[in-house]
Amino acid sequence: MPWNPEADVVEVVRGPRKAGGAGGLYRAFGETLRGLKTTFNQLARVGVTTVQYPEEKIPVFPRFRGRHRLHRFEDTGLEKCVGCSLCAAACPADCIRVVAAENTPENRVSAGERYAAVYEINLSRCIFCGYCEIACPFDAITMGHDFELSDYNRSDLIFTKEMLLAEPAERTPLRTEDE
Amino acid sequence: MPRPIREMVTFTLDGREVTAPESTMLVDAALEYGDVEIPVFCYEPKIGPPVGACRMCLVEIEGVPKLQAGCSVPVKDGMIVHTNTPRVKEAQEGVVEFLLINHPLDCPVCDKGGECPLQDKSFGWGSGISRTVEPKRHFEKPLALSPLIAIDRERCIMCYRCVRFSQEVSEDHQLVLQERGADTFVTTFDGHPYVAPFSGNIIELCPVGALTSRPYRFRARPWDIEQAGSICMLCPAQCNVSFTVRDERVLRVLQRDHEGVDNGWLCDKGRFAYQAIHVDERVTEPLIRDGGTLRAVPWELALETAAAALRRAGGRVAALAGGETTNEEGFLLQSLVRDALGSPDVDSRRGGTLPLELHRALVAPALQASVPDLQYAHAVLVLDTEPVDDIPILDLRIRRGVRHQGVRLFVATSRPSSLDDRARGIVRYAPGAGEAFLAALDAALTGEGDVDALAGAAGADADAVRRLADGLRDAGEEVVVLWGERLTAGPRGADAARALLNVAARLGLAGRDGAGLLEVPSAANGRGLREVGVLPNAGPGLCEPSAEGRDADGIAAAAAAGEIAALYLLHTDPLLDQPSRRAWGAALEKASTVIAHAAFLTEGIAEHATVVFPAESHAEKEGTVVHPDGRVQRLRRAIGRQGDVRGEWQVLAELAARLGADPRVLTASMVSQRLFDAVPFYAGLTLDEIGGRGVRWPEREQAGALPTAALGPFALEAPPAAATANGRLRLGAFRSIWAAPEVAASPALSFLRPLQRAELSPADAERLGLRHGERVVVASNGHSVSALVHLRQAAPEGSVFLESGIAEHSAANLDGPLVEVRRA
Repeated sequence: MPWNPEADVVEVVRGPRKAGGAGGLYRAFGETLRGLKTTFNQLARVGVTTVQYPEEKIPVFPRFRGRHRLHRFEDTGLEKCVGCSLCAAACPADCIRVVAAENTPENRVSAGERYAAVYEINLSRCIFCGYCEIACPFDAITMGHDFELSDYNRSDLIFTKEMLLAEPAERTPLRTEDE
Repeated sequence: MPRPIREMVTFTLDGREVTAPESTMLVDAALEYGDVEIPVFCYEPKIGPPVGACRMCLVEIEGVPKLQAGCSVPVKDGMIVHTNTPRVKEAQEGVVEFLLINHPLDCPVCDKGGECPLQDKSFGWGSGISRTVEPKRHFEKPLALSPLIAIDRERCIMCYRCVRFSQEVSEDHQLVLQERGADTFVTTFDGHPYVAPFSGNIIELCPVGALTSRPYRFRARPWDIEQAGSICMLCPAQCNVSFTVRDERVLRVLQRDHEGVDNGWLCDKGRFAYQAIHVDERVTEPLIRDGGTLRAVPWELALETAAAALRRAGGRVAALAGGETTNEEGFLLQSLVRDALGSPDVDSRRGGTLPLELHRALVAPALQASVPDLQYAHAVLVLDTEPVDDIPILDLRIRRGVRHQGVRLFVATSRPSSLDDRARGIVRYAPGAGEAFLAALDAALTGEGDVDALAGAAGADADAVRRLADGLRDAGEEVVVLWGERLTAGPRGADAARALLNVAARLGLAGRDGAGLLEVPSAANGRGLREVGVLPNAGPGLCEPSAEGRDADGIAAAAAAGEIAALYLLHTDPLLDQPSRRAWGAALEKASTVIAHAAFLTEGIAEHATVVFPAESHAEKEGTVVHPDGRVQRLRRAIGRQGDVRGEWQVLAELAARLGADPRVLTASMVSQRLFDAVPFYAGLTLDEIGGRGVRWPEREQAGALPTAALGPFALEAPPAAATANGRLRLGAFRSIWAAPEVAASPALSFLRPLQRAELSPADAERLGLRHGERVVVASNGHSVSALVHLRQAAPEGSVFLESGIAEHSAANLDGPLVEVRRA
């Protein structure tokens, strides 16, 4: 501890009174050289390379909780989400907004009676806990693998249903079993 | 039958001593006095006695070998009850499992999910594991039970609540259960849509998602919404409601049970007309007339235009306030007109004025009956009002009293009433002959006077009047007279009011607990507006005004004669609300300035208003209103004001300030406080005291501050005889519950929008050669309206009844008393 909070007198440690000299030289370059030692050691090691992010990405684990995905049934193309709002109820960050509407024979969107007319996740608020995925009774929402979510505008981080349903433009590599 | 007096009994509940009133049902006693919840589905005390259909409430009672249904066992002294023994638990789990055998468990798509008693009970008392592998029963779903209600028969657990509501509460006898066993389903008898004034209540009664609201379908989940308690302002019943709000929009209206007001029921208008708050037709910004059309302008310009016009008019200003006006707005309006503009012409009634002492006598605390009195009285007389149209929720209260408390119901109206089949005595008299009828009743009660002649003058059967008098006298001491304000309308309204007070005095209603008069005002806050001084002959607190002004009819005549330059219309369109359309058409045409607060551009506003301020809806208002039985209730804001709407008290205060009489009010509660200070019998009232349940001012100490008035009997001159039909028909006007701009603007309710119909007796129709549903022309003095013939068995011969309060073909187009009906 730099100072004892219970002590009445605090001892002040001052720097050296005299500038320059060998001590000064050491203080200027010593710590730098010590840091560079690690760098040179790594340079000398064979087989270890720097990952060239973002050109190259480290594969994530299969259960990695990244950006959410909404799913469709593969056979019918209907959305799995019925707009039940259970994800919104489970969300501790209150970042999901669902507005449901009714399916009609002319406009059938999901497999149930209702569908999500609006499905928005505010990813700037999301804490990626995965409760929405657990709450979903239809496996309609899952946590995906994308983690590159930075943007220039907060409102661009509100992901709509269309964005969540779409295949990500670039797939995040998944770690294989032996990795 | 008066309220039963109940003794307290002590019984043992799960090893603890609990004291509860005797003959309380075990589930109620356990929950209320013992803090133990026994699960129920079918039990709902609002509906009536228990039926024990669902078997969810099984409990063990010592000394009784089998498990008993707690909902139908009244508590007795010394009873020993166990609610959580293994035997009870097993039975409860069995019942839940049994109820879930055919329940589809489609909770994620079900609108009830999250607020579903079946979910709660399965979670709390079920086993948590389903053993069902067999297929469940299937029905087509979802079906429309009516345009307002969707029914999903797969989800139904056969608790009978909706059927019992229809059979025993609203008594429309439409819903039934068909088929047997697992094939049973709820339906209307012949499959027609369930259309009834109170149908929406079954949505709230349903303990599962079998009956759901179609306008609310899939709009929100219980965790998306907030509830905001307030008062419904669409009719004088002023039911306590709770608005469901999501994203600053009202999505649903639920009941907020108040035994003293609505008993937890709502009519469909109150339940579904919230849609009118969020429609495009609503006026949400100030408008001024510019070259013949109304155009939107900034507030500053609208206020300045209105203030300049009022200034220009000098003292030649008159104001009318409509039903949705709160006490505060009415108070500010009369102070604006009287103090800032120096005009005494302000009114909130229709059809003439009553002397001030009669206004005082009619609200005298000693004569006031409360709403629960209707249920517990010995006899109820429904006088010149049709509760279903005028104050719907009291219709259910009267039916409950008749069914469960043995109330003797008497109906004395000119138009056939829906309560006729529950009544012990019915008197029909000619439209507008209320005074003569009351004089005849008075004569029959006292035994003095010529009952036959008076009944003849009223166009009523003298024997029926005598039987009514005997019935009222024999029923018991506690008699409640539910009378409609239209009784005291018209040039002889004052005499009718005196005759009513005479009858009340003969029956000894004054000062008797559980007896009295209960007025049905023509406007939602009619009583409150009179009490705060929106009357030509009374100031705040029914005090003498500095100068007496003209009543609504007088204002119309004066405006048409050019004596009034500016008209101020607060929540009213005289063309719809006032009895004479032509007089008001001329008045609006002639007035150089018409300033209106309106939510919808109804005919009179759209054509004649020079400045339109957007009116708040009842979900946006704050203030106080007075229930017909004297209960001061509080409106609270549920949502933010839509569009550019401003608080109307602000607008009135701002106008007063611009006209040099600053009322110095900065917040809505300051207006309320000024009002409570100005009205002597509200003295000391605070918004906190009113709270969510309201306060009946006639029960407060300060009620004595109302200036006392004679309560009768009065000497009356002989009433004029009702016009003899003589080939033509007497005209009676009524306003249906659905004749409101809010109903027309609500998409869900627009199918109920009234069309003009001429209600006739079959005998008259036969004489005129008319059939039901035929189009006819009803004419008088060269004016005519078109209508469809509607035959009613109980209609009195020689009269025809037409709807007022509608835009086209309104009864207000015609001059009575006699009209001619002919085929179109």
